[in-house]
Amino acid sequence: MFGLIKTWKALEARGIMGINRRNADYVLKYNKRSLYPIVDDKIITKERALAAGIHVPEMYGVIETEKQIDKLHEIIGGRNDFVIKPAQGAGGDGILVIADRFEDRYRTVSGKIISHEEIEHQVSSILTGLYSLGGHRDRALIEYRVTPDQIFKSISYEGVPDIRIIVLMGYPVMAMLRLPTRQSGGKANLHQGAIGVGVDLATGVTLRGTWLNNIISKHPDTTNAVDGVQLPNWDGFMKLAAGCYELCGLGYIGVDMVLDQDKGPLILELNARPGLNIQIANDTGLTQRTHAIEAHIEALAKEGVTEDAEQRVRVTQSLFGHVHPR
Amino acid sequence: MRSLTLHLKVLITVLVLLGVAVTAYQIFFLGIPVTEDETDDLWNIDAKVEFVASTKDPVKVQMFVPPLNRDYVSLNESFISNNYGVSVNRADGNRKVTWSARRASGNQTLYYRLVLTKRYSTEKTTVKGPTFRDSLAVEGPEKIAAEALMAPIRQHSADVETFVSETIKRVNNLNDDNVKLLLAGDTSSMKKAQVIDLLLSIAHVPMEKVHTIRLVADTPQTPELWLRSFNGNDWLYFNPDTGEQGLPSDRLLWWTGDDNLITVDGGKKANVTFSMNNSEMNAIRLAKLTDENTDADFLEYSLYGLPLQTQQTFMIMVMIPIGVLVILVLRNLIGIQTLGTFTPVLIALAFRETQLGFGIVLFTVITALGLSLRSYLEHLKLQMLPRLSVVLTFVVVLIAAISLFSHKLGLERGLSVALFPMVILTMTIERLSITWEERGGGHAMKVAIGTLFAASLAHLLMMVPELVYFVFTFPAVLLILVGFMLAMGRYRGYRLTELVRFKAFLKKADA
Repeated sequence: MFGLIKTWKALEARGIMGINRRNADYVLKYNKRSLYPIVDDKIITKERALAAGIHVPEMYGVIETEKQIDKLHEIIGGRNDFVIKPAQGAGGDGILVIADRFEDRYRTVSGKIISHEEIEHQVSSILTGLYSLGGHRDRALIEYRVTPDQIFKSISYEGVPDIRIIVLMGYPVMAMLRLPTRQSGGKANLHQGAIGVGVDLATGVTLRGTWLNNIISKHPDTTNAVDGVQLPNWDGFMKLAAGCYELCGLGYIGVDMVLDQDKGPLILELNARPGLNIQIANDTGLTQRTHAIEAHIEALAKEGVTEDAEQRVRVTQSLFGHVHPR
Repeated sequence: MRSLTLHLKVLITVLVLLGVAVTAYQIFFLGIPVTEDETDDLWNIDAKVEFVASTKDPVKVQMFVPPLNRDYVSLNESFISNNYGVSVNRADGNRKVTWSARRASGNQTLYYRLVLTKRYSTEKTTVKGPTFRDSLAVEGPEKIAAEALMAPIRQHSADVETFVSETIKRVNNLNDDNVKLLLAGDTSSMKKAQVIDLLLSIAHVPMEKVHTIRLVADTPQTPELWLRSFNGNDWLYFNPDTGEQGLPSDRLLWWTGDDNLITVDGGKKANVTFSMNNSEMNAIRLAKLTDENTDADFLEYSLYGLPLQTQQTFMIMVMIPIGVLVILVLRNLIGIQTLGTFTPVLIALAFRETQLGFGIVLFTVITALGLSLRSYLEHLKLQMLPRLSVVLTFVVVLIAAISLFSHKLGLERGLSVALFPMVILTMTIERLSITWEERGGGHAMKVAIGTLFAASLAHLLMMVPELVYFVFTFPAVLLILVGFMLAMGRYRGYRLTELVRFKAFLKKADA
């Protein structure tokens, strides 16, 4: 009991944000419920992003009814690789990534060979709402498969590493690189076993990582160091993330982005309830940073000034950047 | 944001205060017992009347019965008598039962039975009594003796109370020649009372004879004589033998006046024997019984006013918020993961039918079998709704099979399963299997165990009889619960499991 109180005090002192605080002070406060569909439905997110001129993976087609499943062939066309996603999926569930095709068979990114019927069954499951939040009927989205930049080759195992940036009122407060592992099956979600690696907001250099709630500095599959890697085009990522506030209107979001070999930074999806493991990856509490941003916004409101995405990026980079790993 | 917080605080305060106030009103003002175990004494008094009827004459038996106008409430009163007509009438503050029969012969036995308890509310009823009366006529030596006694009594007393007790003391001094003369050798309580009555009448102090029964279990007894006098506000009771003042609380006033307990016309050898025993009774049931027999209807507007069947339903329903509270605490304070939000509460309700241990076994077995079926169906690539239907049907068949087997094996417990919510089980299986596929077996086990744990805890809490009684009797407690839930709605501290989850930070700090 006494130990628990000590732990509590220590976490509080370091500004670690708990789920209750995240929900009460940030998600409920800054995220209007009516705007949730924009982030919960990836198709709407994509449309919005395209309208705002933000880069997203190209959408090949949408399947809305069982009847339309027959159109799958037509949508895929001659493409050899593509991704099928539930529009309202949560936590990366239900995503099927096809890496290659030969004869009538498809090969998933993890090397499993599946038939066209199995893909159709997957689409059907998506439509019935098996993977959607709350089990509602859903739409299936078929889109461009991102080819990760070569930079990640040494520190990633299969799959697509992505970059998650937490954005509070348009100010990026914390960033993390998520690396799939053998255990996560090529998925970049931490609860599925992916690694989270903290990223310095100012420089884009990776810090140490977290794997299954532990702090690590090497990739468990490739044994290469995950820290000290310079991510290319970092300012581009930061601006992209900061701009997502105007895109969706939600004040507290996690922006998931990828670095495509050919197309550069792309927005994958937005998350209205971003996870808290990013704190372990960065070895820093979120609360201190969010409080600093809230104070900054209050000060700006007094002066009656608003900042654009680029200015916001510079503010957070100067506030939280250049951390020295302890 | 700040105004919202203030709003919330005010709301919580109002709800909690309201809940506390209503509950306090019920407990302290209406006197509703706090626990079901709180019992009150219940007295069962039997008066057995025996006499020998003469063959020719019609029989008429008159007996006093307690008037029950002060400290006691009668719950049930019965006159047990074959072939006798019964009538009860009141006269001069007494009640009298009259048994009558045209023809009777031989030994006769009649019963009077009274079930009573102390009056619930302690309201004072105003009583009336005489404060003055004429002197009894007395002549010759008695008059002189009486007057000789009166002089010192007057000297040693200040008011009615002291006057009466002084008189009783003097009359009990059997060495006094004046007393000897007045008693004329008879030292029974009855005679003493008569002398006391005479002396008091000379001073114009009213006095009444009171016949009481002691509420003591299993001791045969005869009515005990007491004297009482009215001092303008209240009756003062005196023991004619000792001068002791105040009627002990275990005395039940049976009748007043000079008459005998029983008079029999057309019979002889009348004899009355009293026997009594006491039992304890659940206080709220007792309150209900007295409620029916008095005007105080304080239970009228509580859940006890509902028909019994509905009451039982509500006893379950009022406990649901308690179960929900358990889930709330487990999820938001402790951080245990459960399947769905309120699924554990529904499972807890299902445990009512099956008992906890058996319920857990059943739940585990059915879920495990259902999961294996689900993983088989996975290969068939079915759509969700048909697949769910198959699982549901399978669950029903499984439950039927378990019931049948346990019945054949003589385990009646297995039959209780019939009402186990199959849809909940089906959804549990479905969700669990998805969790299993997406997050691995370890996570699925964790969630399943968390769900079972939450359900068991909620069930145990919802079954505590004291708690059920309390919430059912004082539903305003639910307002307090709502206050707590509202407060939880803005709780932002860590969950207990987060302290473990974020341990990595501390290890680092120590190193």
